[in-house]
Amino acid sequence: MGIGTRASMIAAAAGAAGGLAALAVSRLFAGDAQAQAIAGAVAGAACVAGAVAPFGLSLQRGVHRLRARLIAERGEAAALTPSWLKPVVAALAEAEERLAAESSRAAARVRDLEIRARVTEADLRQTAAVMNTIRDAVLVTNAYDEITSANAAAARLLGFRLPDALRKPVASVIADAALVRHITAARTTIAAGDRLQVDHSIEPSEPQPPEAAAPGPEPRLSIGAADDPPAASSPPRGETRHFEVTLAPLPGMTADPAGVVTILRDITREREISQMKSDFVSQVSHELRTPLSSINAYVEMLVDGEAKDESSRAEFYAVIKGEADRLGRLIDNMLNISRIEAGIFSMERTEVDFVAVAKQAVDFMQPQAALKRISLLHKSGPLVYTAQADRDMVLQVMLNLVSNAVKYTPEGGRVTVAVENDDASRSVMVSVADTGLGIPPDAIPRLFEKFYRIENYKRVAKGTGLGLNLVKHIVETVHRGQVGVTSKVGMGSRFWFTIPFEPAARAAA
Amino acid sequence: MSEATTTVHRNRTILVADDEAHILHVVSLKLRNAGYEVLTAADGEEAFEVACATPPDLVITDLQMPFMTGLEFAARLRANPPTAHIPALLLTARGHALSQAALANTAIREVLSKPFSPREVLAKVEAMLGGAPRADAGADAA
Repeated sequence: MGIGTRASMIAAAAGAAGGLAALAVSRLFAGDAQAQAIAGAVAGAACVAGAVAPFGLSLQRGVHRLRARLIAERGEAAALTPSWLKPVVAALAEAEERLAAESSRAAARVRDLEIRARVTEADLRQTAAVMNTIRDAVLVTNAYDEITSANAAAARLLGFRLPDALRKPVASVIADAALVRHITAARTTIAAGDRLQVDHSIEPSEPQPPEAAAPGPEPRLSIGAADDPPAASSPPRGETRHFEVTLAPLPGMTADPAGVVTILRDITREREISQMKSDFVSQVSHELRTPLSSINAYVEMLVDGEAKDESSRAEFYAVIKGEADRLGRLIDNMLNISRIEAGIFSMERTEVDFVAVAKQAVDFMQPQAALKRISLLHKSGPLVYTAQADRDMVLQVMLNLVSNAVKYTPEGGRVTVAVENDDASRSVMVSVADTGLGIPPDAIPRLFEKFYRIENYKRVAKGTGLGLNLVKHIVETVHRGQVGVTSKVGMGSRFWFTIPFEPAARAAA
Repeated sequence: MSEATTTVHRNRTILVADDEAHILHVVSLKLRNAGYEVLTAADGEEAFEVACATPPDLVITDLQMPFMTGLEFAARLRANPPTAHIPALLLTARGHALSQAALANTAIREVLSKPFSPREVLAKVEAMLGGAPRADAGADAA
């Protein structure tokens, strides 16, 4: 078989090349210069491709295959080559082989690199996701104190845009000089494997323009994304925030650290809670010591014979008894609140007649009301209002509310207790209305807080700030009811609470 | 304490400020029984008004009072020239929480923690008035 015949057969086998291509190729290959023939075939095929547009693609493929076969059969072709051309052909063939081998190695290497790049990219994305899930601000700097990565919380807290800040000196990105000093010093002062914790406060800053606060477009492999979950930290506005800063050197190739990782944890809320706890303790100790102080002092006076006559002594005994009672009530209230808060209270649930309890509370408080010529009334119809509840606790709630109403109502005023049904919530509703001082609107949200007392009313009456807190606990925590107040300064207040008819009625709702 | 101290008491005036009526009453009684003139006030503001109107020889004040705390009251006493010399004794349930810095620039010379004893209060008062008599106090005693 001659080249021409083979070439035309192959061309025909390529199908799409069609007779025209086969003709052209066979004609050209009839010549004696093989190289020319190959070049010619390709050139011819290209012409045909241009001429037969719908078949262009298939034709190209056909030519490629043809060329591959020709190269494969070069051995045979070499036999036909004139001897003077043989070294050139051999060199060409060798070069072509090397090229092919090199090309396939390169292709393999490219594939390998592509896989590695994808793996690395996935790793980085994961790291970024992990970093951005952390609510603490995390900032990494290199040996030149340039920012190499940071999470979204750090960008928000320290007020920089993530892609812009990368590879910039930390001092040029973060305005907080003290923090920058901590970071730059950490690289040289902390031993590898060690960490340093320092307290740091960030003062409130001017609100940033929204454009600067929003994360910018992300470079492919940087950390930080626009759709991060909101972090706890944000640029402080209005109040100083406190941070626990952890600084740790990053290990490098040499003994010197490669950089520093800085973590800022917002401990403002923890500080507040610890302050509240210590305030609570000092408040409790003050509240307990005041009556105790009186008791001690009066007893000592009696012992020292400072009460000269029988009536002074009687007065002293009364003070001691009164203060001891006050101490007892205080301790009871505190224990009850703690028990309810801790969920370790025992309640005796019975069918309670609320009208009867209201009458009892009114009768009990009548003497105090009489002292101030306050008319204390109970106003309920002939109906019976009952609900499943702890009778003693309900009485305590009513006593606290009526006692407050009497305390904060001026002489000659009126306090009215009413019991009714609230069909909407399937509850009994009790209200205590007075013609007293009323409550300033800004005090209402805090009224049921433990130890909260309206500053200007401390002089009007004594109190511990526990009564309404206990009311709220008994009604809401123990009975799943609701408590509330409406008030107008100078006009009076109306406190109300509801207790569901059935224990499950509200619990299920 | 000797007879001499008792005689010194006769024309000494002490201002007691406390929002707890029982404490006010018991401290006043102890001091009156010992021969002092006693003025009383139920809060810091009232106490300062009384101190300005009738400058006492000594002030006993509670720390936590409405309108003006004992510390504020003692600072105002010190800052006001006519009352700047009056020494004060602070009664407090939070004696341990008070730093020296908080007491600086106030009239407070001594602190007693609650629960306190009327005997202790009287002993402190006598020490404060008898121990370091001021020029004018010395003139009174003479």
